[in-house]
Amino acid sequence: MQTPCGMEVDETLYGNIRMTDVIPTDGRTLGRCICIITGASKGFGRALAHQVCCWLKPGSVLLLVARSETLLQELKEELKGFAVEQQLLVNCIVADLSTQKGVNEAVRVARLESEKENDHVLLINNAASLGDISQFSSFTDLDVVNSYMSLNISSALVLTAGMLQVFPRRPGLRWTVVNLSSVFATEALPSWVLYCTAKAARKMMFSVLAVGEPNVRVLSYSPGPLDTGMQKDILRMTGVDNHPFPCKDSAVKLMKLLLDDDFASGTHIDFFSV
Amino acid sequence: MSSTELTRTDLGRALCIITGASRGFGRTVAREMSRLVKPGSALVLAARSADDLRALKVELAESEAGRAGLVVECVVADLGEVGGLESVVRASEEAFSEHMDHIILFNNAASLGDVSRYTQSFTNMAEVDSYLSLNVSSSLCLTARVLQAFPQRPGVRRTVVNISSLCALQPFRSWVLYCTGKAARDMMFKVLAEEEPDLRVLNYAPGPLDTAMQTEARFRTADPSLRKSYLDMFAQSQLLSCETSCAKLTKLLLEDTYTSGAHVDFYEL
Repeated sequence: MQTPCGMEVDETLYGNIRMTDVIPTDGRTLGRCICIITGASKGFGRALAHQVCCWLKPGSVLLLVARSETLLQELKEELKGFAVEQQLLVNCIVADLSTQKGVNEAVRVARLESEKENDHVLLINNAASLGDISQFSSFTDLDVVNSYMSLNISSALVLTAGMLQVFPRRPGLRWTVVNLSSVFATEALPSWVLYCTAKAARKMMFSVLAVGEPNVRVLSYSPGPLDTGMQKDILRMTGVDNHPFPCKDSAVKLMKLLLDDDFASGTHIDFFSV
Repeated sequence: MSSTELTRTDLGRALCIITGASRGFGRTVAREMSRLVKPGSALVLAARSADDLRALKVELAESEAGRAGLVVECVVADLGEVGGLESVVRASEEAFSEHMDHIILFNNAASLGDVSRYTQSFTNMAEVDSYLSLNVSSSLCLTARVLQAFPQRPGVRRTVVNISSLCALQPFRSWVLYCTGKAARDMMFKVLAEEEPDLRVLNYAPGPLDTAMQTEARFRTADPSLRKSYLDMFAQSQLLSCETSCAKLTKLLLEDTYTSGAHVDFYEL
């Protein structure tokens, strides 16, 4: 069995769904889409870039945002085959999203694509950092905490707002925003005050977006413990092995959610419940 | 405390630190605390307005507690700025005395953010950063500094109160900054409660108070139905006085049976 982009599909189990379960039989795709993925150079963002390609119709644009030009170019090379076959435009945006300048750059490049006849804008707010895992009482430096909140909260809001303005809502344009969340958006964990606080903040922030913009489909997705650099940092800093699984498993589930497109806007969905 | 013990009638010989103390709920908390702490206590009141703080200090000095020797230290500080936090902590360290058996920190200072605009208008990172600095980061750093300055020791209770909101739990159109900040704070203090079982941590949502912040909400909220509900609340005298809400907060603190880290709303009690 093959996906629209020719990827072989078999009975492989991803988490607890089979790839064959993901394939819509009615030809559903993500449309002729402008898809923006932040933190695309590594980890989950990178896996998402690979997965999302399968579901983009010809004429779609994939914008990959990250700080590392080298890693982004590598990723673009990896996707070249798909891109050519599927007539996708893949662009790398080298930007530090913790700065206004970086956000402006991402929005500027996206604006260049706004003239095209796209029927879907898909923004995946994935870029994030772990921050220091340390006792609450150690966080006495306002600049350190502000810097963390800026990247992990402000940046996602400002980028999303910028993109919403570049692609105004109009009939025939589907708009989807994904917030990469965590179980720690709702569960407090000792020594994890920065990460928990930011994830809880984002969950609410995207809920407010959802209630305010009925024509934007907003999904907070908690991907589960993933086999990434961030997870290695967690292991190193805390000694805790969360038994992570491959990013691909979780990326496939997110694709299913987006293709089914029947989640309630503003909802928070965990990998394990898909 | 077992059910056969009486609830405390006072908060002990306390060092009480209150941010945003110059008006609104913070000022009411300061007044209430002055009545509830035993002689030998001290209040550290932080706010940006020197005039309002001075007036409050005079008022408290002339009160019964003041005449009995309650120490009131005012700290003019902007908590969103690095130097502001330090001055509050220094004043607290100076106001502390070895006889004290309770340290209470009220994280009350906050701002509404621009509620006249919808989420998609927040394209300026400096504005969002500045909001989070005051409303999220400063309460983390201040609390951390206070806990460092006053580590756990036998015979001294430590209580941390976060003035929360329904907005910590429920999203409201055109209130993205406020809801985000309150949700962030609730989680922050839940983490603290998990980390430090000897600390008493309370996320208290005071209800819709009749304050300057409420007036701002009433006049500036962009979302028509939300603004109407605030106008109606005002018109129908459904806003709470700060005193009414503070009385419930006081009860919670005196009974001291709340689950540490819990979110407790005025209307639940």
